Amino acid sequence: MNLKELYQEIILEHGKNPRNLRKTEDFNRNAKGNNPLCGDNVHVYLKLNGQKIVEDISFEGSGCAISMASASIMTDLIKGKNEHEAKEIVEDFLGMIKENPELKSENLDEDEKTKLMCLSGVKQYPMRVKCATLSWHTLVSAFDERKEEVKTEN
Amino acid sequence: MNINQIKKEFPIFDEKIQNNDLVYLDSANSSQKPKVVVDRINEFYTKQFSNVGRSVHYLAVAATNLYENTRTSVQKYINAKDKNEIVFTKGATEALNLVANTLGQSYLQEGDEVLITELEHHSNYVPWHFLRKSKNIKINFAEINEEGEITLEEIEKKITPKTRLISITHLSNVTGAILPVKEITQLAHSKGIIVVVDGCQGAPHLKLDMQELDCDFYAISCHKMYGPTGLGVLYGKKKWLEELPPYQGGGGMINEVKKDRISYGELPNKYEAGTMATAQVIAFDQSIKFLESIGIENVMKHEAELVEYGQELLQKNNSVKLIGNPKNKGGVLSFTIEGVHPHDIATILDEDGVAIRAGHHCCQILHDKLNIPASARASVGIYNTKEDLDQLNESIKNCKKIFNL
Repeated sequence: MNLKELYQEIILEHGKNPRNLRKTEDFNRNAKGNNPLCGDNVHVYLKLNGQKIVEDISFEGSGCAISMASASIMTDLIKGKNEHEAKEIVEDFLGMIKENPELKSENLDEDEKTKLMCLSGVKQYPMRVKCATLSWHTLVSAFDERKEEVKTEN
Repeated sequence: MNINQIKKEFPIFDEKIQNNDLVYLDSANSSQKPKVVVDRINEFYTKQFSNVGRSVHYLAVAATNLYENTRTSVQKYINAKDKNEIVFTKGATEALNLVANTLGQSYLQEGDEVLITELEHHSNYVPWHFLRKSKNIKINFAEINEEGEITLEEIEKKITPKTRLISITHLSNVTGAILPVKEITQLAHSKGIIVVVDGCQGAPHLKLDMQELDCDFYAISCHKMYGPTGLGVLYGKKKWLEELPPYQGGGGMINEVKKDRISYGELPNKYEAGTMATAQVIAFDQSIKFLESIGIENVMKHEAELVEYGQELLQKNNSVKLIGNPKNKGGVLSFTIEGVHPHDIATILDEDGVAIRAGHHCCQILHDKLNIPASARASVGIYNTKEDLDQLNESIKNCKKIFNL
């Protein structure tokens, strides 16, 4: 029964056909993330303009349906947001995946919140939380221009 | 042999796991424990505990005898020539690190070559990599064939005049291939090359005879052998263990300690510095007795039947792709499903109480070679039945249903 909550249609669809799974050729920020325990990896590319607005975002990598769907939904949401808004959304998402019952960010509209909440089924699978969060941690790392590869902890 | 009777000796199978009967197919990772092993740990701590090899009081002497009894049991079980060829370690990983470290200190020289295989677990690669960094030795890889095997011919092809050591797995934890260790050792020795065997998967499932295999070192993981965690065994030929320097320094491994000089203890103490995993060693004796009571031939026969059955079942299940098809195969069924990532497979199977492993199984070199980031792996132990594999097959069908395939 929980599996249905985990593998909702939208997750399966994004997992199968991830959005923005490519490389932004003229990126000016990027970071890599790796999950050493299971071998998932992700590379996030950002193109920020002068106002630090995300003009383009893309990712490359491989992983399970959860991690691919999460990265796909993330890139869809973040495009057009500025750095400050994007980081606030990341915080909100990570908070929701860990403990909060719902998303609070004012930078997300209702549609976007509904989409993100599809990932909330992961809460019941502690070992899979890192699958959902890897790309988000990597996004922050790209904004901050950290050179070290992101490694997820549980 | 009645498997259901054997299964009853493992208390975990009385438990409901998330309301399911447990279908445990992760024994290549770690085996479940029979009650006799669990009880022995409890009994030792509650009634017999003392540190070993140090004090002269009654409990210390009795505990020391129990500890040494296990050494003798292991010696007999693997048919080693001498009791002192058995060294207890914290695991097979430490056993392999001990070998690499001490050979690196006193035997391998800059430019020497170590031959390993693409099947190796990280614990039989990383310790040699340390020597690549510190001593500038070179590591060569014997390559797998289409079936996921390492052949004697491939090993022969990869031996160069500089090869001084071959370190190989006995049984691959991914493809299940059983390597021709005896033949490889004969070939290696004819060229003056030492042979180290990672026996993590071999020891629980194959008949072990060190004198027949004739390898120089053999590493065993006790927790995969129905024994406690935190314990491994290193078998090493006496001449090597005598000749090589100590690995760790501390109490128990010394002979005499002065301000200006230290001499080391005799075997096996030389390699057992500090307080060892005493309760685990003593309980491991029960694991060996348990395996002996079934008989390794019976274990091998049962597991071979399971693998054959499981292979046939999964082959019929279209969209399941088995990894490797070795002629000589141990109890490992690794696979992928088109369109479902191994982690998703593992989560979906878990919902039915089917415990498998997903990931690269500490074999990234092999997965790179196979050009897959990860795989799903079902592995069997003595307590598994054909019904377990039927359930595996059914749950795999469920994966496809959930993913609308």
